Amino acid sequence: MSLNVAVTGLHAADNPAPGLGVIRCLHHPEKWDGKIIGLAYDVLDTGIYDEGLLGHAYLIPYPNTSSKAFLERLQYIHQQEKIDVIIPTLDSELTVFQKIAPELKSLGIATFIPPKQITDRISKSQLAEFCESENIPYPETIVIKDPGELKAAVKKIGFPLMIKGVYYEAYTCKSMEDVHQYFELLRLKWGLPMILQKKLDSEEFDVCCVSDTNGDLLGAVPIRKTRLTDKGKAWAAVTLKNEQLMELSRRILKKLKWSGPCEVEILKDKKTGEYNLIEINPRFPAWIFLSTGADQNLPKMVIELAMGKTVSPMAPAKSGICFVRHATDLVCPMDYIENLTMLGELHYKSSE
Amino acid sequence: MSEIFKSEVTLSENGFLFDHGSGLTYTLNTTGQFIFRQLQSGQKSKQIMEKMLDEFEVIEETARKDLDDFFRQLNELGLIDL
Repeated sequence: MSLNVAVTGLHAADNPAPGLGVIRCLHHPEKWDGKIIGLAYDVLDTGIYDEGLLGHAYLIPYPNTSSKAFLERLQYIHQQEKIDVIIPTLDSELTVFQKIAPELKSLGIATFIPPKQITDRISKSQLAEFCESENIPYPETIVIKDPGELKAAVKKIGFPLMIKGVYYEAYTCKSMEDVHQYFELLRLKWGLPMILQKKLDSEEFDVCCVSDTNGDLLGAVPIRKTRLTDKGKAWAAVTLKNEQLMELSRRILKKLKWSGPCEVEILKDKKTGEYNLIEINPRFPAWIFLSTGADQNLPKMVIELAMGKTVSPMAPAKSGICFVRHATDLVCPMDYIENLTMLGELHYKSSE
Repeated sequence: MSEIFKSEVTLSENGFLFDHGSGLTYTLNTTGQFIFRQLQSGQKSKQIMEKMLDEFEVIEETARKDLDDFFRQLNELGLIDL
C-alpha cells in the first residue's frame, strides 16, 4: 500500500534532528512507495535540500506559537498532499502533536506517539519519582523547586554531581562555585525546577525502542556511542547484544505502558555494574538509520502501528554494526530558497 | 560461547576483539590471541598452560606469569568472570 508520510526535524547541522534518519529508513532498502513530505521550521533547515530524500517540503509554524495555527497549517498541507501518517521527531513538538492528535485522526492523518499522561511521568522533573515508585535503578536525584533548597541538596548528593535544566542542558559540578555558576545560568535560561543528580563513574548506553499501546517492546536497538562531538552528540556508535540493557528497557516501557518510539538513556555504574536509567527521549534518536543495519527498521514499524496494523516483535538487533556521521554540502539553485521564503513550500520535479 | 565470558565476544583472524555487550574493542598480540582462542574453545587454565609450552619457546614460569597476567587483564576489563 502506498502511503504519504510527513516527517519533522529536518535540520541536520552540528546537532542533527532525527527526521532525516527516519526518512532514510523509509527509503531502505528500496525507495519509499509514496510521498515523503518534509515539515520544516526554517527555510535553511538543511534536510530540505537533500533532493533524493524528499518529494515536497513545507514550512510549518513553531510548535510553541499556537496549536490552532499549527493545525491549520497541517490541514492546508493535507489538502495538497493527502498525508496518511506524520512522524514527529522533536521533543519540543510532542505537546502540540499530543494536543491535536484527535483532530489529525478525524482528518485521516495517523500518528503513533505516547499520550501526555505517560510522557509527563518521564519529564526531567518527574523521572526520579517514577523510578522510585517502580523500583527502577537511577542515580540519586533531587529536584530543586526553590533556590533555598540548593545547599542542603548538594550536601546530600555530594560531588561530583550533575545539574540539569528542566528542559535542556546539563553541567558537571565539582565544587560549590560550579553549582552556583550553573544554577544561575540554567535558572535564567530555563527557570525552575532544576535537577541535581549524582554523577556516576559510568559507561553510557542508549536503546532506541518501539513499543505498542500495551507497553510491550516490539523492536529495540541498543548502542554504545563510540565518539561524541563537543556538544555530546554521537558521531560514531556500534550496536550491541546486551540482555541487561534490553531487560531494563523492556521493564521501563511496560511500567509506563509506553506507546511509540523512544530513546532510553542508561548508565552502567563502573563500581557496582548496575544499570541506571537517566533519561527517556520521547522520539527517535538522530542515529536511527543505524537500525536498518541492525535489521530493525523501526520507523517502518511505527508507520504500521500508526495505521492500526498488528505488529509482531522483531528478532533481536544484529550487534557489531557501526555508523559514522558524515557532514556533506548540499548545492541548490536560488529558486528553491525563493519558493520556501515566498510560498512556504517546495516541490521537487522528480516527485511529479 | 564459553561460559567464562560475560557477554558474546568475537575475535577476528587479525586479533581484533569486539565485546558485543559493551561495544568496546581491543587488539590482542599473538600470545593473547592464542590464549583467547583456547578460552573460546572451553579449555581450562591448566590445559592452556600445557598448550602454551607446546606452542611457544617459553619456560613454565614465564608462561604461567603471562597467563595469569592475561587472565587478570581480561577480568579487569570485564570480559571474563574468574
